[in-house]
Parts: sequence; C-alpha cells; structure tokens
Amino acid sequence: MSKEDSMDPIRLWREWFVKSEKSWSDALSEMMGDEHFSKGMGRYTLEALHTHRMFSETMAQYLANLNIPSRSDILDMNDRLAHMEETLNQIQVELREQRSQMARLAAGGVSAPAASTASVRPARTRKPAANLDA
Amino acid sequence: MTASARAEITSEDLEASVRRTLERAIARNIPGLAPLPQTESDLDVGPTPKEMVYSNETARLYHYLPTQDEIYRVPVLIVMSPVAKGYILDLAKGQSLIEYLVMQGHDVYMLEWAAPRRDQSHLSLDNYVNDLLGGCIEAVQRDSGETEVTLVGYCMGGMLSLMYTALNPTGAVRNLACFTTPVNGDGMELYKRWMTAKSFDIDRLVNELGNIPGDFINNSLQALRPLQRSANQMKLLNNVENDAFVKAHLRFDRWAVDQLPVPGELARSLVKDFIVGNKFVHNALTLRGERVDLGAIKVPFLHVAAQHDHIVPAAASQDLLPLVGSQDKHEIVMKGGHVSLVAGGNAVFRLWPQLDRWLSVRDV
Repeated sequence: MSKEDSMDPIRLWREWFVKSEKSWSDALSEMMGDEHFSKGMGRYTLEALHTHRMFSETMAQYLANLNIPSRSDILDMNDRLAHMEETLNQIQVELREQRSQMARLAAGGVSAPAASTASVRPARTRKPAANLDA
Repeated sequence: MTASARAEITSEDLEASVRRTLERAIARNIPGLAPLPQTESDLDVGPTPKEMVYSNETARLYHYLPTQDEIYRVPVLIVMSPVAKGYILDLAKGQSLIEYLVMQGHDVYMLEWAAPRRDQSHLSLDNYVNDLLGGCIEAVQRDSGETEVTLVGYCMGGMLSLMYTALNPTGAVRNLACFTTPVNGDGMELYKRWMTAKSFDIDRLVNELGNIPGDFINNSLQALRPLQRSANQMKLLNNVENDAFVKAHLRFDRWAVDQLPVPGELARSLVKDFIVGNKFVHNALTLRGERVDLGAIKVPFLHVAAQHDHIVPAAASQDLLPLVGSQDKHEIVMKGGHVSLVAGGNAVFRLWPQLDRWLSVRDV
C-alpha cells in the first residue's frame, strides 16, 4: 500500500469492513436463526409465493392481451431448447462412440463395446513415486 | 500506399488513429485499465480440454483428455454438487484442480449437473443416486475399459457418492474421497431452524414452484454469511489496480452467484430427510427400499474438511469419518473455506498435492 493509500479514509473504512465482516455476519446469522425470525421467514416465503402466483396470473393475462410472451412462454421455449440440447448431446456421445469403434477396427482391434476409446489412450500402467506412502 | 491514398488521410483520421494507439497503450501498460471481462467466455472458465461421454436427464459426464503418456489404472470420477456448476474445479489455467490431476497422470471424468427443466422436477434423491450417478459410473466403466472407479465428491456430490457406495458396497467403487461433505443435518444450524419452523412448508414450495430456483439457493447460501459478498466487493476495490486479482475475483464471484436450480423432489427429500429428519447420520435413510448404511462402506476413504467452512461447518461433517466402515480411512482438516479449499490460490499447495498422493497409491 502506498503512503497516499494509507491516508485514504475510504480505503481505511473498506479495510475495517473487510476485517470485521465475519463478526457482523455471525451476528446477523445469529439474529436470523432466532425463533421469531425463522417463523417470520417461513410466513414470508409462503406469502411471497402467494403474491407471486397472483401477480403471475394477472400479468400473464395482461401480456397475452398485448400479444407479448409471458415468463411462462419463455420458460416453455427454454424447455424446448433444453430438450434439443439434450438430443444433440446424445448424438454427440453416440458419434464419439462410433468414431472410437471405427478407429479401433481400423487399427485391427476387436469390436468389443467396452473401452470404446481405450485403443487411442495412454497405457494405464503409471505407478506412484517410490517415496510416497499411503 | 499510393500518393492518392496518402492524400485522402484527413486530420480527423490521424487524430482518431493517434487516440486509438494511445488508448491501447494506456490500457496495456497501466494496471486496472484493461477492459473488464463481462461474460463467461471472457472469463475463459473451464479451459481443460474435455469430451462429453454420457448425458441423461440432468447428468452430464465429461472426460478430460489425458496429457501424459502413462496414466493410473483406475479412472477418477469427480461428482459435483447438484446446486453448483463444475467450472469451479477448472477455473483457469494454473487454477484448476482438474488440470492438475490430469497433469499428474490421473484419468479424470466429471459428473456435472445441468439445470433441470420443468418436466424434470420429479427427479428425486433416489434418481440422482441410483440412476444418474449409477449410469455415469457404468459409462466411465464402458469408456475407460476399467471395472473399478474412484469417486471424488464435492459437497453434496460427496453425499451422493457416499449414498451410492453404501448401497453398492461390492460394486465398482474402488476408492472414495469427499470434500466438505455434510452428513449431520443438525449441524446445518440456520437451515435447521428455518426448516423446522411450523410456518415453513417445503411441500407447498415444491408444489408451487416445481424446481427450486437458483436464486433461492443463492440467497439461502448467502444468508449463512450475509456480508461476505459486500466484503469481497471492498477487497476488489482495494485491489482494483491488480489485473490478476480482478480477473480471479470476477471468476469466483460469477461462480458464487451461478447456482443451479434443484429439482423439486430432490429438494423435498433434502429438506425432509436430511435437514429435518436428519436420517443420513442415523443410517435411517432409505432409497428404493434399501437402507443407506454408511458402515457398509469398506473401500479406502478420505474426507477433507475446511477449517473456516461456513456452508458445511464442522458440526455437519465431523461425524462422517466414524460412521464410514472402512479400515483405510483418513480425515484432513485444512485451512480455508468451502470454496477456497478446492479452488483458492492456496489449494495448489494444500489440497491438490495431498489428493494426488492419496489417489496415486490407490489408483494403480
């Protein structure tokens, strides 16, 4: 830290905050673990759910009238994209296995399904350094 | 350049060119003025080359390409927590547990979880352990050609690995290592208090939302240390001239808020069976009609805990070692927090070499 930095009150305050953060966080967490807070937290979550539902239903109607997609429509699209991504993943995995099989056959190996790419991988013969104990 | 082209250069062009050159020179030479990375691709996380080997529901299994001529016989399967993205273990070159293990000659696979779709909210703890993790272990066996696999579970990934190994004690698992893995729900004090309050209703939450959103998980985690993120922002401001610090901070910060949603049924089970019922530590948890008895685990076992872990405190994980039935079992408590244990600057000197040593004598 330069001399100018050590005289900077904002920097000094930030450093104090970083150093004392753990104690403040512990105190806040302790407060949040209080029985009344915990009860309130549960109630708040349920109320937030209820509000969220009411608001979503109202907004969905409003957005539909305006011909604008709602969050639910976007999520539908997200699900369809995720489905397509999963299908692509499976095709990618399948292609990889096929490629490995062909490489093995070309190398004169057997076409057993196990160890699909083992023929092009390093030998599994590595040993630990002699001075290592368990 | 022709004479006519030279004649076309105006004073504005020249001024713009000089300004660009100066701006570039300043940005390159004065720390803190380099453009800040904005996106995941700018941050360049997950740099170790990998291939997808298996994909089923939310499970994605990757194989990291070996870089050594000779590798250890038993492949290592890293199991991530269903709420966390896997790139924390492969943040950047030189800051990657995966890269380190690959360079030490281990054959590394990683089971990462994708965000569940709405029609996947039915996926339960049973599906995660028996179908998805079980399916990945079979895929590793097929892909590597080896019948045995070493499991390394991080946080809740450790819980899944423990459950699988306990249910399949004579199965494919050769060794089991867990990092910061909770087994005692009573030790998760704040969550226990919240979730045992009469007003908390997990059934209603799941029925209403389907999957539990990532933001919900993120807020719950931040409640365990509410001011930590603000303190990290202060640290960032104090080190804003250090480009390496800024980039590392942004990578960690991005990961910390990048939590995955959890399928509703999995969340229901974690709350009811793990936190409220605390069945795991009492060997009372049942999956697909079978009791999960940690005493049935007989394979070599390692548990690594972090001294300053506020997410999985000692009270939540310290019962693990006595419960596991293995003869060859060790626990290491290291300096650091829940994340810095595996991915911080000091992990390079603390956890990674210890893990490599432990694996190398058992993966032959």
